[in-house]
Amino acid sequence: MVCAMENTKERIVKKTAHILRWIPALVLALSLVAPWPVPAAELRLSVNASMREAVLESVRAFRNLHPDAVIVSNFAASGALARQMAAGAPADLFISANPEWMDFVVAQSLVATDQVYILATNRQVVVGSATTAAGQLTDLADITRIAIASPESAPAGRYAQQALRQAGLYDELRSAGRLILARDVRQALLYADRGEVDAAIIYATDARLARRAVILFEVPQELHEPIRYPMALTLTGQKKALAVAFRDFLLAEAGQAIFAAQGFVLTD
Amino acid sequence: MLEFAPADYQALWLSARVATAASLLVLPVGFALAWLLVFSRLPGKALLDGLVNLPLVLPPVVVGYLLLLLLGRQGWLGGLLARFGIQVVFTWRAAVIASALIGLPLMVRAIRLGMEQIDPHLLQASRTLGAAWYDTLLTVVLPLSLPSMIAGLSLAFARSLGEFGATIIVAGNIPGITQTIPLAIYDYSNTPGGEARALALCLVSIVLSYVVLLLSELALRRFGWGTSRRQGSGSRAALRKSPSS
Repeated sequence: MVCAMENTKERIVKKTAHILRWIPALVLALSLVAPWPVPAAELRLSVNASMREAVLESVRAFRNLHPDAVIVSNFAASGALARQMAAGAPADLFISANPEWMDFVVAQSLVATDQVYILATNRQVVVGSATTAAGQLTDLADITRIAIASPESAPAGRYAQQALRQAGLYDELRSAGRLILARDVRQALLYADRGEVDAAIIYATDARLARRAVILFEVPQELHEPIRYPMALTLTGQKKALAVAFRDFLLAEAGQAIFAAQGFVLTD
Repeated sequence: MLEFAPADYQALWLSARVATAASLLVLPVGFALAWLLVFSRLPGKALLDGLVNLPLVLPPVVVGYLLLLLLGRQGWLGGLLARFGIQVVFTWRAAVIASALIGLPLMVRAIRLGMEQIDPHLLQASRTLGAAWYDTLLTVVLPLSLPSMIAGLSLAFARSLGEFGATIIVAGNIPGITQTIPLAIYDYSNTPGGEARALALCLVSIVLSYVVLLLSELALRRFGWGTSRRQGSGSRAALRKSPSS
């Protein structure tokens, strides 16, 4: 009996020691899932992926003026950002790559209509290997493979589609299987840069990131809708002084200079 | 309520074709790898094991990107195939290869589990009866691995149906050519007002994957290879082994 009790005691001690060994791991795991403390004066940006470099640069410049500012940037496709916001994700400033997704968040009553500004505009260019012989859109008819972003999922793809349609090339290229639809504009650039396609229609701003592909020519702007980047403070952002200050910074000379340096075209 | 565009039917048909081709392609490869991992005395088996399982833990985007580097015009394999007039990237073949590679670890794992359950006495008996290794492989290992091959096939098929990350890089997102169901859902979910059509396709892919898993379970039962029985024979084998050890 005593022996049995002793045995149980020993077992309990052993078991406890066993459990104790797992505690550090458990604490670590819990700290990973536990919510992070959120500082009060925090600015949350939801920015379309094609403005990543320009916005990061602007945030750096803005921090020089406001050293205490905590700025959290979220870069993704405009559609993904808009849906995140509609699902309740916190955002103070939204910069969309096209007016449709801005209209979407306005319709969801997350943004007031009078808050929408056009931050910048963009142009389209055709990039390809230096040996590709093409000087205008109709020359693409003789080129084997052309990449554009998928018109369904990326605004860049829709502008490219409009331009190709206007040039009377889209249906022909599409039915011949010569049009390679990429996930987004950066992937179209990757295909052109690696020589997997002979040409790609992408934003002028993204073309600056090309390593091997060169700009063959610019797509005439009258062939597609103007490429506008609307920006707006959300209803929560409107109430934050820091968010208003950052928005004004982007629209002022210093901010606009950064966007111009990244290849964006400014509005008057 | 459910409305499908012609492109959706194409995506469905293409998904079925890609998943079928990928799982059939990966079956013999998976069988051979599982056999090597279970029965061979290869040096560096752990390395091979890790390599086989890599697609399971790597982000599919990485798999897709590496495949693009390998199979693209500038890649050494892609360049070689191009000489024979075979283009892989941006065709449905690329989608098949991407899905096959992603499904390979699942196939190998399933078959391997089955092979490890085979009673070693049966293998020893076949050897004492003078069977060569390929004879044992074809008449003992292969038939006894059939249930696990069906399990592996259904897993690889279901995984192929859901493949997105690798496919969209190496095959692109071209409706009618490389746009499978997940890629079409991606397109719709990135279109304002595309929710209903995205949900309709989500529903289809849930039903499809579920049916595949149910069918494989049904097939296993129909042939008398139910899960319960397999477990039973496994424990019997363990019992038989215990006195000698």
